[in-house]
Amino acid sequence: MAQVVLEFRAVVKRFQSVNAVDGVSFSLRAGEIFTLLGPSGCGKTTTLRLVAGLEEPDDGEILINNVAVAAPGLGLFVAPEKRRLGMVFQSYAIWPHLSVFENVAFPLRVRKESNESVRQRVLQALEVVGLGGFAERGATQLSGGQQQRVALARALVYEPAILLLDEPLSNLDAKLREQMRVEIRALQKKLGLTVLYVTHDQAEAMTLSDRIAVVNRGRFEQIGAPEEVYEKPATPFVAEFLGRTVSFEGKIAKNADGCWIEFADGAGRCALAGATSDALTDGAMARVFTRPEDVEIFTSDGHAANQLAGIIEQVAYLGDRFEYHVKAAGVSLVLLAPKKQRFNTGDVIHLALDSARLNVRPI
Amino acid sequence: MKAPTDILLPMTGRFRLRPIRVAEFSFLIFLLVVMGLPLLFLLSGSFNLAAPGKPAVYGFGNWVRAFTDSGTLSALWMSFLLSVVRLIPAMILSVLFAWLIARTDMPGGKFIESICWVAYFVPDFPLVLAWILLLDPNFGFLNTIGKNLPFVDGALFNPYSFWGIVWVHTSTGGIWFKVMLLVPVFRRLGATLEEAARVAGANTTTMLWRITLPVLAPMILAVSVLSFIRGLQSFNTELLLGTPAGLYVYSTKIYDFLHREPRAYGEATALGSVFLFVLAILLFFYWKFLSGNKKFTVVTGQGYSTLRVKLGKWRYVAFASCLLYVIVMMLLPLAFLVLGSFMRRYGFFNIAAPFTVNHWYNMLTDPIFLVALKNSLIIASVTAVGGIMLYSGLAYLLVSRRTKFAPLLESLCWIPHVLPGILLSLSVLWLFLATPLRFFLYGTVWGIAFALILADSPVTTQAFKAGLLQLGGDLEESARVSGAGWLYTYRRILLPLLAPIAAAVGLMNFGSALTSISTPVLLYSHESRPLAILLLEYSFTGELERAAALGLLITLIIGTMMLIGRKFGLKLSGND
Repeated sequence: MAQVVLEFRAVVKRFQSVNAVDGVSFSLRAGEIFTLLGPSGCGKTTTLRLVAGLEEPDDGEILINNVAVAAPGLGLFVAPEKRRLGMVFQSYAIWPHLSVFENVAFPLRVRKESNESVRQRVLQALEVVGLGGFAERGATQLSGGQQQRVALARALVYEPAILLLDEPLSNLDAKLREQMRVEIRALQKKLGLTVLYVTHDQAEAMTLSDRIAVVNRGRFEQIGAPEEVYEKPATPFVAEFLGRTVSFEGKIAKNADGCWIEFADGAGRCALAGATSDALTDGAMARVFTRPEDVEIFTSDGHAANQLAGIIEQVAYLGDRFEYHVKAAGVSLVLLAPKKQRFNTGDVIHLALDSARLNVRPI
Repeated sequence: MKAPTDILLPMTGRFRLRPIRVAEFSFLIFLLVVMGLPLLFLLSGSFNLAAPGKPAVYGFGNWVRAFTDSGTLSALWMSFLLSVVRLIPAMILSVLFAWLIARTDMPGGKFIESICWVAYFVPDFPLVLAWILLLDPNFGFLNTIGKNLPFVDGALFNPYSFWGIVWVHTSTGGIWFKVMLLVPVFRRLGATLEEAARVAGANTTTMLWRITLPVLAPMILAVSVLSFIRGLQSFNTELLLGTPAGLYVYSTKIYDFLHREPRAYGEATALGSVFLFVLAILLFFYWKFLSGNKKFTVVTGQGYSTLRVKLGKWRYVAFASCLLYVIVMMLLPLAFLVLGSFMRRYGFFNIAAPFTVNHWYNMLTDPIFLVALKNSLIIASVTAVGGIMLYSGLAYLLVSRRTKFAPLLESLCWIPHVLPGILLSLSVLWLFLATPLRFFLYGTVWGIAFALILADSPVTTQAFKAGLLQLGGDLEESARVSGAGWLYTYRRILLPLLAPIAAAVGLMNFGSALTSISTPVLLYSHESRPLAILLLEYSFTGELERAAALGLLITLIIGTMMLIGRKFGLKLSGND
């Protein structure tokens, strides 16, 4: 296991009476991208600012490289400038009165590096982020994407212990956002950076992260690799936040051969995989959750098991595919299907569920 | 991997002395002392029957006299009446101006707007003098012409009257500032609101009466109420034009009480307290009105309007009328100020060699003038620099949201905004007289600068606050995370970014310190007399030509400073 660079121990941050960060514990390992993902106001940015030292925690402990930097219980707080961190702000925070070169040089100048060393390292950092030749530009003459690169170069120039990124891509247009996402990932791998990344964009979190923490109301709902969080959401919030879910209600049927769920209105039934079914009792009511993309539409009931009957209520043509509004087992759901699958309003169809991708919860 | 060595571990207990807390408490105590304490002294002083410095004798005598004296009550009533009456033409004209500039195709709108900007900075006292030169019953130029007209017997105009004061106010403070406040409001009105009215079939008049004005009504009303409260603070015009006619407002009455022998501190203080009471009630309702009115949100609709009302051939008439107003209300009096300063005896055009530079020469070589000039420069510089240092710190504290006392600090620094200069002067006077401050601040240039710095607190603090909010916390925080300490951040990031604002408010405060009369009028002595007070004395002793020269000189200094400021691209008003 890699070295722990950052550790939160039951950290609490209150604003007035609200716990913006509510007893959060986690650790960040060297060389990983760890993403805090959540809706706005969930406390993810506050968590990042606690790491940076821009907010003081009210309780708990924060350690960087195994040294406490904030521990209100001990009256200990290390100022942000003493933490050796790099941070890219959502607004980029490029100082408008300094040139690109001086913006990037700032952290080195503060540390009183020699002019020659500053020159070398700044030009190198600008080269790394793809801004070679921009050094003498005024900071305000840059486009949004270029400002973002300057902010990145400034954060990287003195090899920080942790790189903190606060929604760095949210102000870029969609195309540039995708490009920067790939570049940041490549840069992180190349330089072996440890990154704490804050975003509300699920796709960004999925593609960039080694691990994701889903944050809600100041608490970490789940920490895990992107696949794990998406496929096995620990709570309904995580499931809802990471993409769409559909759910059906039914009754558990158990016998020696296995465990099923019988859907309402006799629409069909579906086998449940071993591990999840252990906690369920025969005859109990339960709800299964799955992702809409894991539900397939069929014309006939060719598959014997794991399906339920439904009816097409509405069809919308999206250009690259069709959107079907389906009613099945008393539930209305929206499913996407490729163009080659063509149904009409009123068609009776069957939905096939993938029992490996079901989550079951008793009700 | 070893821990970074530059992380220091301060091994202290739970209680740490944080710089931000120290700053917070220093500001709180300072503001409570300099803003709160004088008011308290003013209130308690009104119950004190003894003269300042003597052992206190408490009683209601001052209040009884203040309320039974018909002169006092009529002065309060006159303040109120003047403020209301002159508000009406000023509001109608400034709404019209703002609408013409921002919402119609009137040519030269930008030009008229910048003239309003320049006119706003012309100090009022010289203008009042100029109107005396034009309208005085004995030697006023317009009256002299009037006498030659048939059917006119005696003076046509009399500035020393209620309507004279109303007229001169329309030229001085009148509409310039209101236009500057209202033009951005008219511009910012969401374009879609008017466009929707058009599409719904409304013509220009209907749209104007049914949509534009009602939507802007809360804002126009807010400007009116503010102008009314500010109007109550007026002093200069009333002093020069009201006093000769025995027409007092409460501020000139206070001045009068304190220029009797012996000085009537008790009455002056009681009158001041009564006025404070009235003011507090007015402000309460103003605040209630502002906070209760949700309509204000509409005004900040997005999208600048491209829709402009087509005036047709009337657009030239509109422009000519605006221009005529500016010429009559600003250029004409200024021209006569120049004329007056160069005439051997103003009004006598028929004597041999009527023109002379003697008044200028005598003034510029007068030792009293030179001392006053030096005093004024010291006072204005100290005020400008002191204000910048003090209020940039306060604004930083307020914006950082790290102080628990922000609302209290904020309200303390707003006090001088509504406190009339003469009352500020009076309460600071009480502060000096009742504390050891009298030994080094009473009657000195430093004492005057102190009062003027207090007077500047609302506008200066708001300017820095706006600047800091616009910068946002990120620029500072990113410097901190980059490894810079607070001082380094302040020096390398905040100071250079705030410099334009500091220069702008510095210039403004320098200018207002140079022209303020009501604030230093109770605080100066013969050694610390500033130029504005010298101007007041010249005009009281009837040396109108010399007063005209000095008034013009002050106007020129202010004008030059503002033009330099504008040249350097400083934002001296909200709409730039």
